[in-house]
Amino acid sequence: METCLIRKEALDKIREIKEADILVGIPSFNSAHTIGHVIQAVREGLARYFPGSRSVIVNCDENSTDGTMDIVRNASVDSSPSAPLSHKGNSVFTIVTPCHGLPTKGNAFRTFFEIANMLNVKACSVVDSHLRSITPEWLDLLMKPLLAEGYQYVAPLYYRHKYDGTITKNIVYPLTRALYGKRIRHPMGRDVGFSGELARFYLTKDIWGKDVAQFGFDIWMTTTALASGFKVCQSFLGTRLRDARFVQTDLSSMLYQVVGMTFSLMETYRQVWPTVSGSEEVYTIGSQRAVGMEPVFINLDRMIDKFKLGMKELLKIWEVILPEETMNFLYRLTYMQGREFYIPDEVWTKIIYSFAIASHRNVFNTEHLIKSLTPLYLARLASFVKETWESSSSEVEEKIEQLCLAFEKEKEFLLKNWGAERK
Amino acid sequence: MDKVFQKVISEPFQMFLKNILQFLPNFLTFLLIIIIGIILGRVLYTVSLRIFRAIGLEKFSERSGVVDLIRKGGIKDSVSVLLAKSVRWITVIIFAIIALRALAIPTIEGLFERFLLYLPNVFVAATILFLGYLLGNFFGRAALIASVNAGIKIAGVMGRFVKFTVFLLSATMALEQLGIGKETIVIAFAIIFGGVVLALAIAFGLGGQDTAKEYIKKKLKGETEEEKKDDISHL
Repeated sequence: METCLIRKEALDKIREIKEADILVGIPSFNSAHTIGHVIQAVREGLARYFPGSRSVIVNCDENSTDGTMDIVRNASVDSSPSAPLSHKGNSVFTIVTPCHGLPTKGNAFRTFFEIANMLNVKACSVVDSHLRSITPEWLDLLMKPLLAEGYQYVAPLYYRHKYDGTITKNIVYPLTRALYGKRIRHPMGRDVGFSGELARFYLTKDIWGKDVAQFGFDIWMTTTALASGFKVCQSFLGTRLRDARFVQTDLSSMLYQVVGMTFSLMETYRQVWPTVSGSEEVYTIGSQRAVGMEPVFINLDRMIDKFKLGMKELLKIWEVILPEETMNFLYRLTYMQGREFYIPDEVWTKIIYSFAIASHRNVFNTEHLIKSLTPLYLARLASFVKETWESSSSEVEEKIEQLCLAFEKEKEFLLKNWGAERK
Repeated sequence: MDKVFQKVISEPFQMFLKNILQFLPNFLTFLLIIIIGIILGRVLYTVSLRIFRAIGLEKFSERSGVVDLIRKGGIKDSVSVLLAKSVRWITVIIFAIIALRALAIPTIEGLFERFLLYLPNVFVAATILFLGYLLGNFFGRAALIASVNAGIKIAGVMGRFVKFTVFLLSATMALEQLGIGKETIVIAFAIIFGGVVLALAIAFGLGGQDTAKEYIKKKLKGETEEEKKDDISHL
């Protein structure tokens, strides 16, 4: 029961609670504007969909300076550990604790896994503290498959604008699907459900001392569940709206964290993904609806200019990473204008696979390698936007499906070059 | 006549023979040590070459850009071979120094003593230069990639500037270690570096008045219409 991760006050509460059925984790950082709403939705969801269950809401805060933890404490009707909120026969306890060690998402999740293990919970879910669109139903959608249908990991599925999640659409989803053979549409979903057994399994993994940064943790959780043979499904949660004040990290750092983690997991599971061919649908809960297309501002010229600058300055780096035929295409692409400027799925697939191979062979420092992908990603993004500017959401999905098939088809290229010697 | 012959020819000849006989054992020792040094050098060459290859030094040097450096310098040997050769020659030189001391010639002894004391400085300076080259490459590449991703048109110049500055700093440190114009080098570095920064400041201030104005305005008042961010969420 002892752990160095959790503070004494939280440990005392855990000792008093002893056992629970459900754990809902909420990692937070400066979420004072939204966390009250999130807590309210969670409490209502627990009361409505899991009556009679002993539930624990755990807030792990990453050093907020806006009083987020106080709001969570006040949002609990009775924060006393020995006097849980009783609503229609269920008991809801609240634990509020600061994040141990470096305030990262990985460490917040580790705290949830530790508490889930100590309380021997059956099902866990984690939701983002910056959410504006969370409803009580999300709790049911994320945990019902775990408790009633024997699933061990529930990935979220959202309504998203066609230009939201473009790294997921163009890199992470097609790559994860081709590698592990499961069609998890949002492998980097922030709001997830997982069984107590899987939480204990995550704890056994040796990643905690490493740099598990803000964006890489989601893909780590999904990939670990997929590659380790846990039963995975996805739940349709609807629209996902976040607090607009939340500042995004710069693009190259996001790419480094997400793509770097995906490549690193390819090393970890190098015995698993080479044996997989093709892909299959996973069980999906909830009815999916098409999302409306609001007009957006996108400066394509700026993206293309960055690619051209990359061609001028990063050529020597790319020449080491990319095959000759791909480089020849990129030379031609530099001179393409207007509608002509386009990176086809097959070329983009080879670019991503070549970067994965270069990362495997330690051609350059990994951070340099992946950050040098940024201008190429922007060129692909410009192509994607041009191609889908007039498309409906279902047509965009069709394009993504075609890209995924290209990744599956070209997997042979990856397998052939993964074990080969450097050129 | 006999006396003259003895004084002029015989005595010096005997003295010479005596000196030769005294010097001969030292000379034989000298030769023996040299031969041992050459043989040991060869053995150490083979052993160290195997060790360097076993620890994957070739891969590391390719990643760090050392291979590029030595190729540019016209050397065709691999890094492992180069280092193994260095081990051999260091061994031979050390044995040569020991051998020369065995000759017991005071002038040579003094000369090599000074050389021996100076040798660690050469080694430290070479290490500083080598590390400076590696760090220069690393930071230069990081600056280049970051500048390209930020859309800076002179990304290449920035990358090269960072690389050159780091290498220049290491070269200054290496020369200081060797004791070559200690103060002069530090002052020269400060003048060059300060001059470059001053030149850039003047160039930006005079030549780029409008750019500076636009930049400050942008920082104070937010983004201009042309630099509006894309409505894209990448994750």
